Amino acid sequence: MDYQKLGLKSGLEIHQQLDTHKLFCECPSEIRTDKPDIIVKRELRPLAGEVGKIDPAALFEKKKRKFYIYEAYSDTTCLVELDEEPPHEINPDALEIGLLIAKMLHCEIPDVIQVMRKTVVDGSNTSGFQRTALIATNGYLETSFGKVRVATVCLEEDSARRTAETPESVTFRLDRLGIPLVEIATEPDCKTPEQVKEAAEKIGSLLRSTGKVIRGIGTIRQDVNVSITGHPRIELKGVQELPQMPKIVEIEVQRQAEAIKSGGKLEGHVRNVKEDLSSKFLRPMPGAARMYPETDIPLVTIDKEKLAKAKLPEALESREKRFVKLGLSADLAKQVVKDVRLPFIESLLTKFQTANPNTLVSTFLSVEGEVKRKTGKEIKFTNEQFESIFDLLDEDKIVKESLLDIFIGLSKGESSSDVAKKFAKLSDAELKKEIEKIKKEHKELQLDKLIGIAMGKLRGKATAEKIIGLLKSKT
Amino acid sequence: MFKVGDRVEVKTKTQTFVGIVMPAPEAEKDLLILKLPTGYNLPIRMNKEVTAKKIGEEKFEGLPTYRPEFKKLPFVSVIATGGTIMSRVDYKTGAVAPLKSAEELLLTVPELHEIVNIKRVHEPFLIASEDMTPAEWKKIAELAAQELNDEEISGVIVTHGTDTLHYTAAALSFMLKNLNKPVALVGGQRSSDRGSFDGALNLICAAQYCKSEIAEVAIVMHGSESDDYCLANRGTKVRKMHTSRRDTFRPVNELPLAKIWPDGKIEILNKNYRKRRDHRAETLVDTRFEPKVALLKVFPGADPEIFESLIEKGYKGIIIEATGLGHVPTSTQNKKMSWISSIKKAVDSGIFVGIAPQTLYGRINLNVYTNQRILEDAGAVGLDDMLPETAYVKLGIILGRTKNPEEAKKLMLTNLSGEINHRLEPETFLY
Repeated sequence: MDYQKLGLKSGLEIHQQLDTHKLFCECPSEIRTDKPDIIVKRELRPLAGEVGKIDPAALFEKKKRKFYIYEAYSDTTCLVELDEEPPHEINPDALEIGLLIAKMLHCEIPDVIQVMRKTVVDGSNTSGFQRTALIATNGYLETSFGKVRVATVCLEEDSARRTAETPESVTFRLDRLGIPLVEIATEPDCKTPEQVKEAAEKIGSLLRSTGKVIRGIGTIRQDVNVSITGHPRIELKGVQELPQMPKIVEIEVQRQAEAIKSGGKLEGHVRNVKEDLSSKFLRPMPGAARMYPETDIPLVTIDKEKLAKAKLPEALESREKRFVKLGLSADLAKQVVKDVRLPFIESLLTKFQTANPNTLVSTFLSVEGEVKRKTGKEIKFTNEQFESIFDLLDEDKIVKESLLDIFIGLSKGESSSDVAKKFAKLSDAELKKEIEKIKKEHKELQLDKLIGIAMGKLRGKATAEKIIGLLKSKT
Repeated sequence: MFKVGDRVEVKTKTQTFVGIVMPAPEAEKDLLILKLPTGYNLPIRMNKEVTAKKIGEEKFEGLPTYRPEFKKLPFVSVIATGGTIMSRVDYKTGAVAPLKSAEELLLTVPELHEIVNIKRVHEPFLIASEDMTPAEWKKIAELAAQELNDEEISGVIVTHGTDTLHYTAAALSFMLKNLNKPVALVGGQRSSDRGSFDGALNLICAAQYCKSEIAEVAIVMHGSESDDYCLANRGTKVRKMHTSRRDTFRPVNELPLAKIWPDGKIEILNKNYRKRRDHRAETLVDTRFEPKVALLKVFPGADPEIFESLIEKGYKGIIIEATGLGHVPTSTQNKKMSWISSIKKAVDSGIFVGIAPQTLYGRINLNVYTNQRILEDAGAVGLDDMLPETAYVKLGIILGRTKNPEEAKKLMLTNLSGEINHRLEPETFLY
């Protein structure tokens, strides 16, 4: 397809959850799968917005006439999520992370921010609106196809998550409601489907480099805006995987081209991406009338001096290069920067200078799987356990050949100090004595047989090279 | 420089914004708040580096006008007085302020017109609950009586802020005598500009209450955190118990009168209520009120000079919110901290001193401890299970009607409007 001729304009709207407590209360940002102990039933009403207009998206939802069931937990949700208490002041940690991200996107930060209420009557917010604030404008990001301008960065509360639906009601769980989200909206500067994907990747990598975003399924959501010449803007929701993005854009471009050909009135609207990557109508495009000030939260003045001093996190690409310089293999370095546990892995690499970084990282990444293969036991080791074992390795008290056995020992509930004793490395003198003993006992055997016996007996107490070296030596 | 609604173009060093001027807080003189085309408000500090010019004007559309169509339904009248239920966002102060008219409120609850016809809407004043005084109670009582004595009217709805709603409810309970029809007091804990406006269900259930057989002044508000039913709680036995929850109004020392569902189903929970009567049984109104009445809470370390100052200021009646079964500091180690001689002095000079429980639940009983007998001997009157707020309102009304201390005491101990309950049922606690 000739996207230039079609006049493709595409932009992104990316929502990323931040790794801190909720935006307007002190509840943890914790998604739960156990049975909720609070059930509340509510209705929502369509209302006039700030400038006296009723929002078309709000009316559309109300016509469906539903009531809403909210599920909550006494220990991780409070009256704020239940819309039974006014919001607390904005979570300063979330604001700081949001502003840092804006700074990384070369944005301009306003002097003062005002939290708004965005009317939402699909029930996903108990209050009937989502709290959101514009925290930055006018930034950009570089792609190999050219600059993509960042229109706005907003800080907002995540909505409740839909867990069930009947003809009369929709059920939402309040665990997600209020988790801080940073919303990055680009200008429609992407000219090809591939550029959309690259821009999304770049933003994702930038967000992860902060180490302060929540990772995992559902923690980042990306919407794509698509329009070609002669067709109003369409918003595509529910893009799950980045590799699918070019295909999704391509299918939408085709749909728009056909819609133009078949004539009739074209209107901008929101569509939901289906499993086959095509999309279906979701709702009309929300109008600007749906926003009015959140009067329960005072204006927030931004501390510009503090922001100027804030250090930007190192980009993942630059970290990858640095890891290679530290001695990590290129493959492992690539894998590490994508890993959820990057901050911990990075701390291992700075903490342990003597041990081979490849041994540390590959053990950290794979030992749980290997233990499971050997013992059939599903196990998660703690960061402290990893650190204590790597400490021994770094101090040359154990050898890398014993690592798997040591972790198997830990998986059986043995303490780090006990397994350390069991697999303590032999001193050179002790090792020599053991080797001499083996040689004496098996005078008749060839070297390769001797190696087999010695390795079996001394495995995990000395390195293989050392054992073989001593067996080969005459004395 | 600009007025609200102006469309302006603002240039900063690096950016140009076009938007509509929104009101900024009065205290923020140099702040221009622009509503951007995205709907977001962007506050901009106007300084030397920022220029702005007007490029047009936005017409603010008002709400559509309210034109109820007539259906063959019972009539009610509404007295709108202000509060959250009558509130929308005010961009001037950055806070919530009153709706322009009761019509705007009813417009947001169209279901009301399926239940009742609204005959008249009175707006004697629009004030916040915390700004109410006995003068406003009188006005509401007079308007209510006038409406109740209209033979076409089935009941009266009073919309009101929630903070002091239970004081007004108590005042109406005593000021309206020989009540013939239901009077529902309604508030909201979420303002009417939001989708989760709780006042809608409260108004709907209040309209249903107005069609019921219960001729009592009652607060009709959410019974639970859900939008499922409301409770009608007797005006003298109800209290705001939570700063922000929808189901903040709870009955104290008795069960609610009824559970009311929006579809009109009514479940009577408390059989002890006045029945609706023929319209010829006229409701009387007596709004006399003695303003020199106070409500005072005792606490450990409370110096009796606080109480003494009320005597000096010429107060005619004082309700003390006492601890436990009815205690004030009595046999204190430091004799100066005992309230007894001050109370005796007050009673001897003709001031009524009533004792109500700061525990709210339970009854005052001045016979259990020695210190209480000392208090009673000083002349203080234990007021049974009457809520302190109800006792304060009742005392103002009683002292407005009689200056005779003996007569006042007798009336304070007489159950006039359900304020005294001689039988406390176990299930009434923390209902």
